[in-house]
Amino acid sequence: MKKPVKSEKIKSKKVSASRSKPKTEKSKPVEVKQLICLLGDELLVKEYSAAFQEKGIAVQELKNLSTLKTSAKKITAAFELTLASNEQKEKNLQALDETLPENVPIISSSVTETILSQSKHSKHKHRFVGIAAFPTLLSNSLVELSPSIHTSKEIADEVKTLFDSIKKETAMVQDGVGMVMPRILCQIINEALFTVQNDVATPKEIDEAMKHGTNYPHGPISWGEMIGFANVVAVLDALYHSHHEERYKVAPVLRQMAIAGIFWKAKE
Amino acid sequence: MAISIGIVGAGTMGAGIAHIAALNKCTVSLYDINEEVIRRSVERINFEMKRSVDKNKISDDDMKQALTRIKKRTNINDLDTCDIIIEAVLEDIRVKKDLFKKLDQIAHHTAILATNTSSLSVTSIAAATKKPERVVGMHFFNPVHLMKLVEIVKGAKTSSETITQTIAIAEKLGKKTIVTKDTPGFVVNRVARPFYSEALKILSENVTTVEEIDRIVKKSGGFKMGPFELMDMIGNDVNFSVTESMFQQFFNDPRFQPSHIQKQLVEAGMFGKKTKQGFYNYEEK
Ligand SMILES: NC(=O)c1ccc[n+]([C@@H]2O[C@H](COP(=O)([O-])OP(=O)(O)OC[C@H]3O[C@@H](n4cnc5c(N)ncnc54)[C@H](O)[C@@H]3O)[C@@H](O)[C@H]2O)c1
Repeated sequence: MKKPVKSEKIKSKKVSASRSKPKTEKSKPVEVKQLICLLGDELLVKEYSAAFQEKGIAVQELKNLSTLKTSAKKITAAFELTLASNEQKEKNLQALDETLPENVPIISSSVTETILSQSKHSKHKHRFVGIAAFPTLLSNSLVELSPSIHTSKEIADEVKTLFDSIKKETAMVQDGVGMVMPRILCQIINEALFTVQNDVATPKEIDEAMKHGTNYPHGPISWGEMIGFANVVAVLDALYHSHHEERYKVAPVLRQMAIAGIFWKAKE
Repeated sequence: MAISIGIVGAGTMGAGIAHIAALNKCTVSLYDINEEVIRRSVERINFEMKRSVDKNKISDDDMKQALTRIKKRTNINDLDTCDIIIEAVLEDIRVKKDLFKKLDQIAHHTAILATNTSSLSVTSIAAATKKPERVVGMHFFNPVHLMKLVEIVKGAKTSSETITQTIAIAEKLGKKTIVTKDTPGFVVNRVARPFYSEALKILSENVTTVEEIDRIVKKSGGFKMGPFELMDMIGNDVNFSVTESMFQQFFNDPRFQPSHIQKQLVEAGMFGKKTKQGFYNYEEK
Protein backbone atom coordinates (compact mmCIF):
# COMPACT_ATOMS: atom_id res chain seq x y z
CA MET A 1 0.00 0.00 0.00
CA LYS A 2 2.81 2.42 0.87
CA LYS A 3 4.60 2.25 -2.47
CA PRO A 4 1.96 3.60 -4.84
CA VAL A 5 1.27 6.47 -2.48
CA LYS A 6 4.94 7.42 -2.57
CA SER A 7 5.21 7.29 -6.32
CA GLU A 8 2.03 9.35 -6.54
CA LYS A 9 3.67 12.10 -4.56
CA ILE A 10 6.47 12.31 -7.08
CA LYS A 11 3.97 12.36 -9.89
CA SER A 12 1.90 15.09 -8.39
CA LYS A 13 5.05 17.13 -7.86
CA LYS A 14 5.78 16.77 -11.53
CA VAL A 15 2.24 17.87 -12.20
CA SER A 16 2.55 21.09 -10.30
CA ALA A 17 5.97 21.71 -11.79
CA SER A 18 4.76 21.41 -15.36
CA ARG A 19 1.84 23.65 -14.45
CA SER A 20 3.90 26.51 -13.18
CA LYS A 21 5.85 26.82 -16.42
CA PRO A 22 3.56 26.40 -19.38
CA LYS A 23 5.53 25.81 -22.56
CA THR A 24 3.23 27.19 -25.22
CA GLU A 25 1.93 30.49 -23.87
CA LYS A 26 4.28 33.20 -22.71
CA SER A 27 2.84 34.49 -19.44
CA LYS A 28 -0.32 32.64 -18.78
CA PRO A 29 -2.38 34.01 -15.89
CA VAL A 30 -3.24 31.70 -12.97
CA GLU A 31 -6.88 31.73 -14.08
CA VAL A 32 -7.12 28.88 -16.58
CA LYS A 33 -10.01 28.93 -19.01
CA GLN A 34 -11.93 25.74 -18.49
CA LEU A 35 -12.64 23.43 -21.37
CA ILE A 36 -14.44 20.19 -20.58
CA CYS A 37 -14.20 17.36 -23.04
CA LEU A 38 -16.99 14.79 -23.04
CA LEU A 39 -17.38 11.46 -24.72
CA GLY A 40 -19.40 8.29 -24.22
CA ASP A 41 -23.12 7.55 -24.04
CA GLU A 42 -25.18 10.15 -25.84
CA LEU A 43 -27.75 10.57 -23.07
CA LEU A 44 -25.12 11.21 -20.39
CA VAL A 45 -22.99 13.42 -22.63
CA LYS A 46 -26.06 15.58 -23.25
CA GLU A 47 -26.88 15.85 -19.53
CA TYR A 48 -23.31 16.74 -18.51
CA SER A 49 -22.77 19.04 -21.44
CA ALA A 50 -25.90 21.01 -20.57
CA ALA A 51 -25.00 21.22 -16.88
CA PHE A 52 -21.60 22.77 -17.62
CA GLN A 53 -22.75 25.08 -20.39
CA GLU A 54 -25.58 26.37 -18.23
CA LYS A 55 -22.96 27.67 -15.81
CA GLY A 56 -20.85 29.19 -18.59
CA ILE A 57 -18.20 26.51 -18.82
CA ALA A 58 -17.09 25.57 -22.32
CA VAL A 59 -17.51 21.98 -23.40
CA GLN A 60 -16.40 19.93 -26.33
CA GLU A 61 -18.48 16.89 -27.20
CA LEU A 62 -16.21 14.43 -28.94
CA LYS A 63 -17.96 12.34 -31.56
CA ASN A 64 -14.81 10.43 -32.40
CA LEU A 65 -11.28 10.22 -31.12
CA SER A 66 -9.59 11.73 -34.17
CA THR A 67 -10.56 15.27 -33.12
CA LEU A 68 -9.06 14.85 -29.68
CA LYS A 69 -5.47 15.66 -30.71
CA THR A 70 -6.23 19.14 -32.05
CA SER A 71 -7.76 20.41 -28.80
CA ALA A 72 -5.80 18.27 -26.34
CA LYS A 73 -3.69 21.13 -25.00
CA LYS A 74 -6.71 23.29 -24.17
CA ILE A 75 -8.69 20.62 -22.34
CA THR A 76 -8.78 21.06 -18.56
CA ALA A 77 -10.83 17.97 -17.66
CA ALA A 78 -12.16 14.98 -19.58
CA PHE A 79 -15.30 12.93 -18.96
CA GLU A 80 -15.67 9.39 -20.28
CA LEU A 81 -19.36 8.66 -19.90
CA THR A 82 -19.83 5.19 -21.33
CA LEU A 83 -21.82 3.40 -18.70
CA ALA A 84 -21.25 -0.24 -19.56
CA SER A 85 -17.63 -1.37 -19.51
CA ASN A 86 -16.83 -2.37 -23.06
CA GLU A 87 -14.09 -2.17 -25.67
CA GLN A 88 -15.09 1.30 -26.79
CA LYS A 89 -14.81 2.65 -23.27
CA GLU A 90 -11.39 1.07 -22.93
CA LYS A 91 -10.27 2.64 -26.21
CA ASN A 92 -11.62 6.03 -25.20
CA LEU A 93 -9.85 5.96 -21.86
CA GLN A 94 -6.61 4.86 -23.44
CA ALA A 95 -6.77 7.64 -26.03
CA LEU A 96 -7.55 10.26 -23.37
CA ASP A 97 -4.72 9.03 -21.20
CA GLU A 98 -2.21 9.04 -24.06
CA THR A 99 -3.24 12.35 -25.57
CA LEU A 100 -4.03 14.66 -22.66
CA PRO A 101 -1.25 16.22 -20.56
CA GLU A 102 -0.74 14.08 -17.50
CA ASN A 103 -2.13 16.61 -15.04
CA VAL A 104 -5.58 16.73 -16.64
CA PRO A 105 -8.17 14.77 -14.65
CA ILE A 106 -9.98 11.93 -16.40
CA ILE A 107 -13.38 11.45 -14.83
CA SER A 108 -14.98 8.20 -15.87
CA SER A 109 -18.34 6.64 -15.20
CA SER A 110 -17.51 3.89 -12.71
CA VAL A 111 -20.95 2.49 -12.09
CA THR A 112 -20.31 -0.88 -13.72
CA GLU A 113 -16.55 -1.19 -13.19
CA THR A 114 -14.32 0.23 -10.46
CA ILE A 115 -12.08 3.13 -11.40
CA LEU A 116 -9.14 1.08 -10.12
CA SER A 117 -9.86 -1.58 -12.70
CA GLN A 118 -10.46 0.97 -15.48
CA SER A 119 -7.12 2.65 -14.85
CA LYS A 120 -5.03 -0.44 -14.25
CA HIS A 121 -3.13 -0.20 -17.57
CA SER A 122 -2.66 3.54 -17.43
CA LYS A 123 0.67 5.23 -16.97
CA HIS A 124 -1.06 8.03 -15.07
CA LYS A 125 -3.30 6.25 -12.61
CA HIS A 126 -3.25 9.25 -10.30
CA ARG A 127 -5.54 11.31 -12.53
CA PHE A 128 -8.48 8.92 -12.77
CA VAL A 129 -11.60 9.66 -10.75
CA GLY A 130 -14.77 7.56 -10.83
CA ILE A 131 -18.18 9.19 -11.06
CA ALA A 132 -21.72 7.90 -10.56
CA ALA A 133 -22.70 9.15 -14.01
CA PHE A 134 -26.14 7.66 -14.38
CA PRO A 135 -29.05 9.03 -16.41
CA THR A 136 -31.52 11.33 -14.58
CA LEU A 137 -29.33 11.88 -11.50
CA LEU A 138 -27.53 15.04 -12.65
CA SER A 139 -30.76 17.02 -12.41
CA ASN A 140 -30.35 16.78 -8.64
CA SER A 141 -27.90 18.71 -6.47
CA LEU A 142 -25.23 16.15 -5.58
CA VAL A 143 -22.64 14.20 -7.56
CA GLU A 144 -21.05 11.02 -6.25
CA LEU A 145 -17.34 10.57 -6.91
CA SER A 146 -14.95 7.73 -6.17
CA PRO A 147 -11.19 8.09 -6.28
CA SER A 148 -9.15 4.91 -6.63
CA ILE A 149 -6.32 4.11 -4.22
CA HIS A 150 -3.97 5.68 -6.81
CA THR A 151 -5.85 8.95 -7.26
CA SER A 152 -3.85 11.93 -6.03
CA LYS A 153 -5.36 14.38 -3.59
CA GLU A 154 -4.68 17.23 -6.02
CA ILE A 155 -6.72 15.60 -8.76
CA ALA A 156 -9.57 14.68 -6.41
CA ASP A 157 -9.67 18.25 -5.12
CA GLU A 158 -9.60 19.66 -8.62
CA VAL A 159 -12.61 17.56 -9.65
CA LYS A 160 -14.46 18.58 -6.51
CA THR A 161 -13.75 22.26 -7.29
CA LEU A 162 -14.98 21.76 -10.83
CA PHE A 163 -18.35 20.59 -9.47
CA ASP A 164 -18.38 23.39 -6.89
CA SER A 165 -18.17 25.78 -9.82
CA ILE A 166 -21.41 24.43 -11.28
CA LYS A 167 -23.08 24.46 -7.83
CA LYS A 168 -23.10 20.71 -7.28
CA GLU A 169 -22.24 19.18 -3.95
CA THR A 170 -19.98 16.16 -4.07
CA ALA A 171 -19.74 13.00 -1.99
CA MET A 172 -16.60 10.87 -2.04
CA VAL A 173 -17.36 7.17 -1.68
CA GLN A 174 -15.22 4.04 -1.82
CA ASP A 175 -14.45 2.71 -5.26
CA GLY A 176 -17.06 -0.04 -5.66
CA VAL A 177 -19.40 -1.20 -8.43
CA GLY A 178 -22.75 0.59 -8.40
CA MET A 179 -21.48 3.23 -5.95
CA VAL A 180 -24.42 4.34 -3.77
CA MET A 181 -27.39 5.85 -5.59
CA PRO A 182 -27.29 3.83 -8.84
CA ARG A 183 -26.95 0.65 -6.80
CA ILE A 184 -29.97 1.30 -4.57
CA LEU A 185 -32.01 2.62 -7.48
CA CYS A 186 -31.32 -0.35 -9.77
CA GLN A 187 -32.27 -2.78 -7.02
CA ILE A 188 -35.58 -0.94 -6.52
CA ILE A 189 -36.29 -1.04 -10.27
CA ASN A 190 -35.36 -4.71 -10.38
CA GLU A 191 -37.78 -5.54 -7.54
CA ALA A 192 -40.52 -3.53 -9.27
CA LEU A 193 -40.03 -5.74 -12.33
CA PHE A 194 -40.00 -8.95 -10.32
CA THR A 195 -43.36 -7.71 -9.04
CA VAL A 196 -44.54 -7.25 -12.65
CA GLN A 197 -43.10 -10.64 -13.53
CA ASN A 198 -45.09 -12.27 -10.73
CA ASP A 199 -48.22 -10.48 -11.93
CA VAL A 200 -48.83 -8.94 -8.50
CA ALA A 201 -50.03 -5.69 -10.07
CA THR A 202 -49.66 -3.85 -13.39
CA PRO A 203 -46.62 -1.66 -14.14
CA LYS A 204 -48.84 1.41 -13.98
CA GLU A 205 -50.24 0.44 -10.60
CA ILE A 206 -46.77 -0.28 -9.24
CA ASP A 207 -45.58 3.19 -10.25
CA GLU A 208 -48.68 4.80 -8.73
CA ALA A 209 -48.22 2.81 -5.53
CA MET A 210 -44.61 3.90 -5.03
CA LYS A 211 -45.40 7.54 -5.66
CA HIS A 212 -48.41 7.68 -3.35
CA GLY A 213 -47.61 4.97 -0.79
CA THR A 214 -44.01 6.08 -0.10
CA ASN A 215 -43.50 9.44 -1.86
CA TYR A 216 -40.85 8.25 -4.35
CA PRO A 217 -39.87 11.02 -6.78
CA HIS A 218 -40.78 8.82 -9.78
CA GLY A 219 -42.49 5.49 -10.22
CA PRO A 220 -39.66 2.93 -10.43
CA ILE A 221 -40.68 1.49 -13.80
CA SER A 222 -41.00 4.81 -15.60
CA TRP A 223 -37.75 5.84 -13.89
CA GLY A 224 -36.14 2.72 -15.36
CA GLU A 225 -37.46 3.70 -18.75
CA MET A 226 -35.89 7.18 -18.42
CA ILE A 227 -32.56 5.66 -17.38
CA GLY A 228 -32.73 3.00 -20.06
CA PHE A 229 -33.44 -0.57 -19.01
CA ALA A 230 -30.18 -1.74 -20.61
CA ASN A 231 -28.29 0.57 -18.25
CA VAL A 232 -30.13 -0.82 -15.25
CA VAL A 233 -29.29 -4.37 -16.32
CA ALA A 234 -25.64 -3.40 -16.87
CA VAL A 235 -25.36 -2.22 -13.26
CA LEU A 236 -27.11 -5.29 -11.84
CA ASP A 237 -25.00 -7.68 -13.91
CA ALA A 238 -21.86 -5.89 -12.77
CA LEU A 239 -22.97 -6.21 -9.13
CA TYR A 240 -23.77 -9.85 -9.68
CA HIS A 241 -20.27 -10.46 -11.02
CA SER A 242 -18.44 -8.40 -8.43
CA HIS A 243 -20.30 -9.98 -5.51
CA HIS A 244 -21.27 -13.45 -6.73
CA GLU A 245 -24.52 -12.99 -4.88
CA GLU A 246 -27.97 -14.08 -5.97
CA ARG A 247 -29.53 -10.92 -4.57
CA TYR A 248 -28.41 -9.16 -7.77
CA LYS A 249 -30.07 -11.58 -10.19
CA VAL A 250 -31.98 -9.71 -12.87
CA ALA A 251 -35.74 -10.14 -13.30
CA PRO A 252 -36.16 -11.98 -16.63
CA VAL A 253 -38.73 -9.45 -17.82
CA LEU A 254 -36.27 -6.61 -17.12
CA ARG A 255 -33.67 -8.34 -19.27
CA GLN A 256 -36.22 -8.64 -22.08
CA MET A 257 -37.10 -4.99 -21.82
CA ALA A 258 -33.41 -4.12 -21.95
CA ILE A 259 -33.08 -5.99 -25.23
CA ALA A 260 -36.30 -4.75 -26.78
CA GLY A 261 -35.58 -1.24 -25.55
CA ILE A 262 -39.25 -0.73 -24.85
CA PHE A 263 -41.78 -1.18 -22.18
CA TRP A 264 -42.87 -4.75 -21.68
CA LYS A 265 -46.49 -4.92 -22.74
CA ALA A 266 -48.03 -6.58 -19.74
CA LYS A 267 -51.78 -6.89 -19.50
CA GLU A 268 -52.91 -3.43 -18.43
CA MET B 1 -76.79 6.70 2.00
CA ALA B 2 -73.87 7.08 4.38
CA ILE B 3 -71.55 4.12 4.58
CA SER B 4 -71.22 2.62 8.02
CA ILE B 5 -67.65 1.59 8.84
CA GLY B 6 -66.58 -0.54 11.77
CA ILE B 7 -62.98 -0.34 12.93
CA VAL B 8 -61.40 -2.92 15.19
CA GLY B 9 -58.20 -1.81 16.90
CA ALA B 10 -57.99 1.90 17.71
CA GLY B 11 -54.20 2.26 17.65
CA THR B 12 -52.17 4.36 15.20
CA MET B 13 -53.81 2.96 12.08
CA GLY B 14 -57.32 2.46 13.45
CA ALA B 15 -57.43 6.08 14.61
CA GLY B 16 -56.15 7.29 11.23
CA ILE B 17 -58.81 5.33 9.35
CA ALA B 18 -61.55 6.58 11.70
CA HIS B 19 -60.32 10.14 11.13
CA ILE B 20 -60.63 10.06 7.33
CA ALA B 21 -63.83 8.02 7.35
CA ALA B 22 -65.59 10.52 9.63
CA LEU B 23 -64.38 13.46 7.54
CA ASN B 24 -65.71 11.78 4.42
CA LYS B 25 -69.20 11.52 5.90
CA CYS B 26 -69.16 7.86 6.92
CA THR B 27 -70.48 6.75 10.29
CA VAL B 28 -67.72 5.11 12.29
CA SER B 29 -67.95 2.50 15.02
CA LEU B 30 -64.58 2.45 16.73
CA TYR B 31 -63.78 -0.60 18.82
CA ASP B 32 -60.71 -1.77 20.77
CA ILE B 33 -60.29 -4.38 23.51
CA ASN B 34 -58.78 -1.61 25.57
CA GLU B 35 -61.35 1.10 26.41
CA GLU B 36 -58.68 3.57 27.42
CA VAL B 37 -57.18 3.25 23.91
CA ILE B 38 -60.50 4.26 22.31
CA ARG B 39 -60.70 7.38 24.47
CA ARG B 40 -57.12 8.40 23.66
CA SER B 41 -57.68 7.60 20.02
CA VAL B 42 -60.65 9.98 19.74
CA GLU B 43 -58.58 12.63 21.52
CA ARG B 44 -55.84 12.21 18.95
CA ILE B 45 -58.32 12.48 16.07
CA ASN B 46 -59.61 15.67 17.69
CA PHE B 47 -56.08 17.04 17.88
CA GLU B 48 -55.22 16.15 14.26
CA MET B 49 -58.47 17.65 12.96
CA LYS B 50 -57.80 20.88 14.89
CA ARG B 51 -54.48 21.10 13.09
CA SER B 52 -56.26 20.73 9.75
CA VAL B 53 -58.65 23.51 10.79
CA ASP B 54 -55.68 25.72 11.71
CA LYS B 55 -54.17 25.06 8.31
CA ASN B 56 -57.53 25.88 6.66
CA LYS B 57 -57.79 22.43 5.17
CA ILE B 58 -61.19 21.82 6.74
CA SER B 59 -63.71 24.13 8.41
CA ASP B 60 -64.58 24.17 12.07
CA ASP B 61 -68.02 22.89 11.14
CA ASP B 62 -66.55 19.97 9.13
CA MET B 63 -64.63 19.00 12.22
CA LYS B 64 -67.60 19.21 14.59
CA GLN B 65 -69.79 17.13 12.30
CA ALA B 66 -67.06 14.57 11.69
CA LEU B 67 -66.52 14.07 15.40
CA THR B 68 -70.24 13.37 15.95
CA ARG B 69 -70.01 10.56 13.40
CA ILE B 70 -67.50 8.59 15.49
CA LYS B 71 -69.15 6.20 17.95
CA LYS B 72 -67.00 4.65 20.66
CA ARG B 73 -67.85 0.96 20.93
CA THR B 74 -66.87 -1.20 23.85
CA ASN B 75 -68.78 -4.27 22.70
CA ILE B 76 -67.69 -5.89 19.45
CA ASN B 77 -71.25 -7.16 18.85
CA ASP B 78 -72.27 -3.55 18.18
CA LEU B 79 -70.50 -3.72 14.80
CA ASP B 80 -73.33 -5.96 13.48
CA THR B 81 -74.87 -3.28 11.27
CA CYS B 82 -71.66 -2.06 9.59
CA ASP B 83 -71.28 -2.22 5.79
CA ILE B 84 -67.59 -2.94 6.21
CA ILE B 85 -65.40 -3.82 9.19
CA ILE B 86 -61.74 -2.86 8.94
CA GLU B 87 -59.38 -4.67 11.26
CA ALA B 88 -56.25 -2.85 12.52
CA VAL B 89 -55.13 -4.83 15.56
CA LEU B 90 -51.57 -5.90 16.23
CA GLU B 91 -49.64 -7.80 13.54
CA ASP B 92 -50.08 -11.35 14.82
CA ILE B 93 -51.62 -14.08 12.71
CA ARG B 94 -53.20 -15.93 15.69
CA VAL B 95 -54.86 -12.79 17.03
CA LYS B 96 -56.12 -11.82 13.57
CA LYS B 97 -57.47 -15.29 12.79
CA ASP B 98 -59.34 -15.49 16.11
CA LEU B 99 -60.76 -12.04 15.49
CA PHE B 100 -61.95 -12.85 11.95
CA LYS B 101 -63.64 -15.99 13.19
CA LYS B 102 -65.56 -13.81 15.62
CA LEU B 103 -66.28 -11.07 13.05
CA ASP B 104 -67.62 -13.68 10.63
CA GLN B 105 -70.25 -14.57 13.24
CA ILE B 106 -71.30 -11.10 14.34
CA ALA B 107 -71.06 -9.11 11.07
CA HIS B 108 -74.05 -8.55 8.79
CA HIS B 109 -74.09 -11.29 6.14
CA THR B 110 -73.38 -8.82 3.31
CA ALA B 111 -70.64 -6.91 5.15
CA ILE B 112 -67.07 -6.81 3.86
CA LEU B 113 -64.34 -7.87 6.27
CA ALA B 114 -61.08 -6.06 5.59
CA THR B 115 -57.65 -6.43 7.19
CA ASN B 116 -55.01 -3.72 7.31
CA THR B 117 -52.18 -6.24 7.65
CA SER B 118 -48.81 -5.19 6.21
CA SER B 119 -47.06 -8.52 6.07
CA LEU B 120 -49.44 -11.39 6.78
CA SER B 121 -51.32 -13.49 4.24
CA VAL B 122 -54.86 -12.20 3.61
CA THR B 123 -55.72 -15.66 2.29
CA SER B 124 -54.72 -17.23 5.56
CA ILE B 125 -56.74 -14.71 7.61
CA ALA B 126 -59.75 -15.28 5.33
CA ALA B 127 -59.49 -19.03 5.88
CA ALA B 128 -60.58 -18.48 9.50
CA THR B 129 -64.03 -17.44 8.22
CA LYS B 130 -66.87 -19.32 6.57
CA LYS B 131 -67.10 -16.69 3.83
CA PRO B 132 -63.56 -16.03 2.57
CA GLU B 133 -65.00 -14.44 -0.58
CA ARG B 134 -65.97 -11.36 1.44
CA VAL B 135 -62.54 -10.99 3.09
CA VAL B 136 -60.10 -8.53 1.54
CA GLY B 137 -56.88 -6.68 2.37
CA MET B 138 -57.13 -2.93 2.75
CA HIS B 139 -53.60 -1.73 3.31
CA PHE B 140 -53.43 1.91 4.41
CA PHE B 141 -50.20 3.83 4.97
CA ASN B 142 -49.07 5.83 7.97
CA PRO B 143 -50.08 8.64 8.57
CA VAL B 144 -53.42 7.62 7.07
CA HIS B 145 -54.82 11.14 6.64
CA LEU B 146 -51.75 12.21 4.63
CA MET B 147 -50.82 9.16 2.54
CA LYS B 148 -53.01 8.92 -0.54
CA LEU B 149 -52.74 5.22 -1.30
CA VAL B 150 -54.64 2.11 -0.27
CA GLU B 151 -53.53 -1.29 -1.55
CA ILE B 152 -56.56 -3.51 -2.08
CA VAL B 153 -55.40 -7.07 -1.64
CA LYS B 154 -57.16 -9.91 -3.37
CA GLY B 155 -56.89 -13.15 -1.38
CA ALA B 156 -57.10 -16.52 -3.12
CA LYS B 157 -60.87 -16.65 -2.56
CA THR B 158 -61.80 -12.96 -2.50
CA SER B 159 -64.70 -12.33 -4.93
CA SER B 160 -64.45 -9.71 -7.64
CA GLU B 161 -67.63 -8.15 -6.23
CA THR B 162 -65.87 -7.65 -2.90
CA ILE B 163 -62.94 -6.03 -4.73
CA THR B 164 -65.23 -3.65 -6.64
CA GLN B 165 -67.07 -2.63 -3.48
CA THR B 166 -63.86 -2.17 -1.52
CA ILE B 167 -62.40 0.06 -4.25
CA ALA B 168 -65.57 2.18 -4.12
CA ILE B 169 -65.31 2.52 -0.33
CA ALA B 170 -61.61 3.46 -0.47
CA GLU B 171 -62.43 6.08 -3.08
CA LYS B 172 -65.19 7.38 -0.85
CA LEU B 173 -62.48 7.83 1.78
CA GLY B 174 -60.57 9.98 -0.70
CA LYS B 175 -57.88 7.42 -1.51
CA LYS B 176 -56.18 6.25 -4.66
CA THR B 177 -56.30 2.49 -4.99
CA ILE B 178 -54.36 -0.27 -6.64
CA VAL B 179 -55.35 -3.92 -6.63
CA THR B 180 -52.61 -6.38 -5.74
CA LYS B 181 -52.36 -10.13 -5.48
CA ASP B 182 -51.88 -11.59 -2.04
CA THR B 183 -48.09 -12.03 -2.17
CA PRO B 184 -45.61 -11.06 0.58
CA GLY B 185 -45.31 -7.31 1.06
CA PHE B 186 -47.93 -6.69 -1.67
CA VAL B 187 -46.44 -3.91 -3.84
CA VAL B 188 -45.19 -1.04 -1.70
CA ASN B 189 -43.43 -2.89 1.11
CA ARG B 190 -41.89 -5.27 -1.40
CA VAL B 191 -40.60 -2.76 -3.95
CA ALA B 192 -39.40 -0.50 -1.12
CA ARG B 193 -37.40 -3.31 0.49
CA PRO B 194 -34.16 -2.62 -1.46
CA PHE B 195 -34.32 1.05 -0.40
CA TYR B 196 -33.49 -0.23 3.10
CA SER B 197 -31.68 -3.49 2.42
CA GLU B 198 -29.33 -2.24 -0.30
CA ALA B 199 -28.45 0.80 1.83
CA LEU B 200 -27.65 -1.57 4.71
CA LYS B 201 -25.58 -3.76 2.36
CA ILE B 202 -23.64 -0.73 1.15
CA LEU B 203 -23.05 0.30 4.77
CA SER B 204 -21.91 -3.23 5.66
CA GLU B 205 -19.33 -3.04 2.84
CA ASN B 206 -18.03 0.22 4.26
CA VAL B 207 -18.59 2.12 1.00
CA THR B 208 -19.41 5.19 3.08
CA THR B 209 -21.17 6.25 6.29
CA VAL B 210 -24.81 6.35 7.43
CA GLU B 211 -24.87 10.16 7.16
CA GLU B 212 -23.33 10.14 3.70
CA ILE B 213 -25.69 7.49 2.32
CA ASP B 214 -28.67 9.52 3.57
CA ARG B 215 -27.21 12.69 2.06
CA ILE B 216 -26.57 10.98 -1.29
CA VAL B 217 -30.02 9.38 -1.49
CA LYS B 218 -31.72 12.72 -0.80
CA LYS B 219 -29.51 14.99 -2.86
CA SER B 220 -28.49 12.72 -5.72
CA GLY B 221 -31.65 10.61 -5.91
CA GLY B 222 -34.23 13.24 -4.95
CA PHE B 223 -35.86 11.13 -2.23
CA LYS B 224 -37.56 12.99 0.64
CA MET B 225 -35.77 11.02 3.34
CA GLY B 226 -32.63 8.89 3.52
CA PRO B 227 -32.99 5.17 4.27
CA PHE B 228 -31.41 5.37 7.72
CA GLU B 229 -33.46 8.34 8.88
CA LEU B 230 -36.53 6.53 7.64
CA MET B 231 -35.66 3.26 9.40
CA ASP B 232 -35.13 5.22 12.64
CA MET B 233 -38.52 6.85 12.16
CA ILE B 234 -40.39 3.61 11.36
CA GLY B 235 -38.51 1.85 14.17
CA ASN B 236 -35.69 -0.59 13.53
CA ASP B 237 -37.63 -3.26 15.44
CA VAL B 238 -40.64 -2.91 13.11
CA ASN B 239 -38.54 -2.57 9.94
CA PHE B 240 -36.39 -5.57 10.84
CA SER B 241 -39.36 -7.78 11.64
CA VAL B 242 -41.07 -6.89 8.34
CA THR B 243 -37.86 -7.77 6.45
CA GLU B 244 -37.47 -11.01 8.39
CA SER B 245 -41.08 -11.96 7.75
CA MET B 246 -40.75 -11.26 4.02
CA PHE B 247 -37.48 -13.21 3.85
CA GLN B 248 -39.25 -16.22 5.37
CA GLN B 249 -42.31 -15.86 3.17
CA PHE B 250 -40.12 -15.74 0.06
CA PHE B 251 -38.51 -18.99 1.22
CA ASN B 252 -35.15 -17.36 2.03
CA ASP B 253 -34.68 -15.67 -1.32
CA PRO B 254 -31.41 -13.71 -0.87
CA ARG B 255 -33.08 -10.59 -2.33
CA PHE B 256 -34.84 -10.19 1.00
CA GLN B 257 -32.03 -11.14 3.35
CA PRO B 258 -32.11 -9.14 6.60
CA SER B 259 -29.03 -7.25 7.77
CA HIS B 260 -26.79 -8.02 10.72
CA ILE B 261 -26.28 -4.33 11.32
CA GLN B 262 -29.98 -3.76 11.85
CA LYS B 263 -30.35 -6.95 13.88
CA GLN B 264 -27.72 -5.71 16.28
CA LEU B 265 -29.48 -2.36 16.71
CA VAL B 266 -32.65 -4.25 17.59
CA GLU B 267 -30.76 -6.44 20.08
CA ALA B 268 -29.32 -3.31 21.69
CA GLY B 269 -32.78 -1.77 22.00
CA MET B 270 -31.77 1.00 19.58
CA PHE B 271 -35.10 1.16 17.77
CA GLY B 272 -34.65 4.71 16.50
CA LYS B 273 -36.52 7.89 17.37
CA LYS B 274 -38.84 6.24 19.88
CA THR B 275 -35.91 5.03 22.02
CA LYS B 276 -33.83 8.14 21.26
CA GLN B 277 -31.11 5.99 19.69
CA GLY B 278 -30.80 4.15 16.42
CA PHE B 279 -28.59 4.85 13.44
CA TYR B 280 -28.60 8.39 14.81
CA ASN B 281 -28.61 9.75 18.32
CA TYR B 282 -31.73 11.75 19.24
CA GLU B 283 -30.91 12.48 22.86
CA GLU B 284 -31.26 16.11 23.82
CA LYS B 285 -27.94 17.71 24.57
N1 LIG C 1 -48.11 1.56 11.87
C1 LIG C 1 -47.95 1.49 10.56
O1 LIG C 1 -47.14 2.21 9.98
C2 LIG C 1 -48.78 0.53 9.76
C3 LIG C 1 -48.94 0.77 8.38
C4 LIG C 1 -49.76 -0.11 7.64
C5 LIG C 1 -50.34 -1.18 8.26
N2 LIG C 1 -50.14 -1.40 9.60
C6 LIG C 1 -50.84 -2.56 10.21
O2 LIG C 1 -51.94 -2.09 10.93
C7 LIG C 1 -52.20 -2.93 12.05
C8 LIG C 1 -52.23 -2.08 13.30
O3 LIG C 1 -51.02 -1.39 13.46
P1 LIG C 1 -50.86 -0.14 14.44
O4 LIG C 1 -49.54 0.46 14.14
O5 LIG C 1 -52.04 0.70 14.38
O6 LIG C 1 -50.78 -0.86 15.86
P2 LIG C 1 -51.07 -0.28 17.31
O7 LIG C 1 -50.25 -1.07 18.25
O8 LIG C 1 -50.93 1.20 17.32
O9 LIG C 1 -52.61 -0.59 17.56
C9 LIG C 1 -53.13 -1.89 17.70
C10 LIG C 1 -54.39 -1.83 18.58
O10 LIG C 1 -55.07 -3.06 18.52
C11 LIG C 1 -55.68 -3.31 19.80
N3 LIG C 1 -55.98 -4.73 19.87
C12 LIG C 1 -55.15 -5.77 20.05
N4 LIG C 1 -55.81 -6.92 20.02
C13 LIG C 1 -57.11 -6.62 19.80
C14 LIG C 1 -58.30 -7.39 19.66
N5 LIG C 1 -58.27 -8.72 19.72
N6 LIG C 1 -59.45 -6.74 19.45
C15 LIG C 1 -59.50 -5.40 19.39
N7 LIG C 1 -58.40 -4.63 19.51
C16 LIG C 1 -57.23 -5.23 19.72
C17 LIG C 1 -54.65 -2.80 20.77
O11 LIG C 1 -55.23 -2.49 22.01
C18 LIG C 1 -54.09 -1.57 20.05
O12 LIG C 1 -54.78 -0.41 20.45
C19 LIG C 1 -51.13 -4.00 12.02
O13 LIG C 1 -51.62 -5.13 11.35
C20 LIG C 1 -50.03 -3.34 11.22
O14 LIG C 1 -49.21 -4.29 10.57
C21 LIG C 1 -49.39 -0.55 10.35
